[in-house]
Amino acid sequence: MSPISQKTKLSWVVALGAALLGGPAMAADYLERPIEMLVPWGPGGGADQLARLVSKLMEPMVKQGIPVLNVPGGTGATGIAKLLAAPADGYSMAIYIADSHALLAGKKPRWSMNDLTPVAVMIKGPSFLFVKYDSPIKTWDDFVKRAKASPGKMKIATLGFGSVDDFSLSVIAKSGLKFVQVPFAKPAERYVSILGDHADVLYEQAGDVRRFLDGKQMRPILIFGERRHPAFKDVPTSFEKGYKVALPQFRSIVVRAGTPPDRVKALSDALAKVAATPEYKAFLKDQYGFDDSFEGSAKAGAYVNEQLNDMKKAMAAN
Amino acid sequence: MADILLHLANGFVDCLTPLNLAMLFIGIVLGLLIGVLPGLTLVMGVALALPFTYRLGVTPSIVLLTAIYVSGTYGGAFTAILFRIPGEPIDVPMLWDGYTMARKGKPAKALGWTLVAALGGGLLAAVIMVVLTHPLARFALRFSSPEYFAVLLFGLTSVVALGRGSLGNALISLAAGMLIATVGTDETYGAYRFTFGSRVLADGIEFLVVMVGVYGIGEVLARLEKGFTGRPIERVANARTELPTLREISAIKSMFLRSSLLGTVIGLIPGAGATIASFVSYGLEAQFGKRKKEMGTGVAEGIVAPQAAATASVGGALVPLLALGIPGSGATAVILGAFMLHGIQPGPQVLATSSAIVYAVFASLFLGLALMCLLGYFAIQPLVKILDFPEAAVSAYVMMLCFVGALSIRNNIVDLWLMIGFGVIGYLFEKFKFPVAPLVLGVILGPLAEGAFMNSMISFGNDWTIFFTRPIAGTIMVFTFAMLMLPFVQQWRARRVAAA
Repeated sequence: MSPISQKTKLSWVVALGAALLGGPAMAADYLERPIEMLVPWGPGGGADQLARLVSKLMEPMVKQGIPVLNVPGGTGATGIAKLLAAPADGYSMAIYIADSHALLAGKKPRWSMNDLTPVAVMIKGPSFLFVKYDSPIKTWDDFVKRAKASPGKMKIATLGFGSVDDFSLSVIAKSGLKFVQVPFAKPAERYVSILGDHADVLYEQAGDVRRFLDGKQMRPILIFGERRHPAFKDVPTSFEKGYKVALPQFRSIVVRAGTPPDRVKALSDALAKVAATPEYKAFLKDQYGFDDSFEGSAKAGAYVNEQLNDMKKAMAAN
Repeated sequence: MADILLHLANGFVDCLTPLNLAMLFIGIVLGLLIGVLPGLTLVMGVALALPFTYRLGVTPSIVLLTAIYVSGTYGGAFTAILFRIPGEPIDVPMLWDGYTMARKGKPAKALGWTLVAALGGGLLAAVIMVVLTHPLARFALRFSSPEYFAVLLFGLTSVVALGRGSLGNALISLAAGMLIATVGTDETYGAYRFTFGSRVLADGIEFLVVMVGVYGIGEVLARLEKGFTGRPIERVANARTELPTLREISAIKSMFLRSSLLGTVIGLIPGAGATIASFVSYGLEAQFGKRKKEMGTGVAEGIVAPQAAATASVGGALVPLLALGIPGSGATAVILGAFMLHGIQPGPQVLATSSAIVYAVFASLFLGLALMCLLGYFAIQPLVKILDFPEAAVSAYVMMLCFVGALSIRNNIVDLWLMIGFGVIGYLFEKFKFPVAPLVLGVILGPLAEGAFMNSMISFGNDWTIFFTRPIAGTIMVFTFAMLMLPFVQQWRARRVAAA
């Protein structure tokens, strides 16, 4: 077979596949040029990885380029500001994660949820507290014992003050446990603080420290949530231990409010197909996300708003 | 040891496939271009290349990104030395001796020194990295906020050496730089500082805007004042590439070694990369080096110290990434992302199970350094010729480079106005004999030092003695204080000699 005929054949297959899968669902005058994917965080992190994987899987489905643009700054505020500055035509999307919520629940939010339309929730996964594998602390009860024996001495490494981590820990602190929260904005410094014995406990999503879990360098001692995680059946939840806090880390994709509903639907449908690919499912498993993480545009808005209310409640309680 | 050599040999074989060699070449060229363009930083450059690795295998992907990272630490030296525009923050120290040497009519020689420094520093770090991966990784884990602060404080106190002439003026300039850096949202508590209700200021002032403004624009303004009369550089007799002779290199071999080792160690520290390595290395040489009195007047030591340390830091930063899965710098964070996109989680397991990839990366670092210097060697000659063009024409291109660079930071037009403003400040500083170097130093290192200080205070219950009681931090602090006291001790001695 000559290379040309092979190429022709391939293009037929692609065209046929596109017609069967995506073609009819797309609005007629939409998806004529590349769609920009904004990541309000630096390259290499969890949000960035999600954006790049989605872009890679979605490009052939919508037959358009989906360039990923990192716009870090202001705990995610700069990137969202950029999204809000673009026209509401469905050609700009942004990754929106639970940490951006922390800004909205804070004192001076620069935008409100009414400015954004969630297209899809891509990952939901609980946050954990981890310790170094060979630490004398092996369980949550060990930690409580030590924290009570020397109040204000145990150190918990987090993303920073005013973050989701901070809210969750403040609920535990209300039970009378005294510990110090040490903010490390850079993931590398956060992980070194545990591996190098500079802090005792780490607040993190399991997917981000998978390499340390696989390598038996860290172990989880507590899950924030109501249900245990299938991968860590022995690890107790915050609700079991009497802390009524479950602020899961979620990563979603949003567009500007006012984007035509048929375009939101078209994007949501394409993302549903992305979420159904084996490659995405493997990523979800790798990140320790829940299998039923995906929510399309029909339910994503309600979920994201519910999370925001939970966080506001957690903050008001302090 | 024989084991390591065998692995490395296999790594070289893996690297020599046409695809990997192509990636290596593309990466080196891209890195050089990114290094030249101010505003497009190393980290952004590596991130921009990431999407192109989706369709590649793991090894060519990592080879491409590592090559960009390595040559990005070298490209900026060209613009710094020839036009006084630091392409990257790491190239700021290159202005002090590199640009001065070029102004003295030896631009080809200055560029020759950077080439030798990048090659030597990079190769030494690569060797250390391959031989001592595990012990170095363990050493990296001992660094926490207090150690990090001590290193940064050492970098900041190097102004004592930079402030030729008045020490007071240098300190004022440093304080101004640190003050500029506080504008925006405070990193620890999210408080607004000096924002005057402006949204743009709430986002902070990018250090790149300050750096490009005071150096690039400031220099053009200074030339404009003289009506572009002087040639930018006294006519270069023959624009041949001039490599330093073996005798010249051998004369500074111990400081060469010192800078390269320092760069490797700073690269190891998570969170500190090529920029800090470059500043601290220059500071160390200016304060404790053999020819410390002549630093800043265009001597080879002032070029070799920052360049060798910056390129050496790449090898250092790759160690914790490959051995522990911890990225030691912004660029290695992106490389970590590339590993993960290919379903590999770097860490002890990878070093044990997929060591072929790791050694291919090691080997590509050696090949990349060689290729980078070869390209650099042939680039020097045509680039130096640019200086023969009329000054006004060159200045126009310098302005263009500055504007493109400043806009590419965050696509914000306000940054251009800020850059012009800082250009005027830079021009006035020079005119009234205030050094601008400490200002830029303060803007770049100030916020990092503040963050490390705040973290140490939070972590250790506001106990400031922690900086002296922890062994590594304490040792660095002793050096810092020695550096601060040295000028006074020398003055006192000189007076005693004069009295006697």
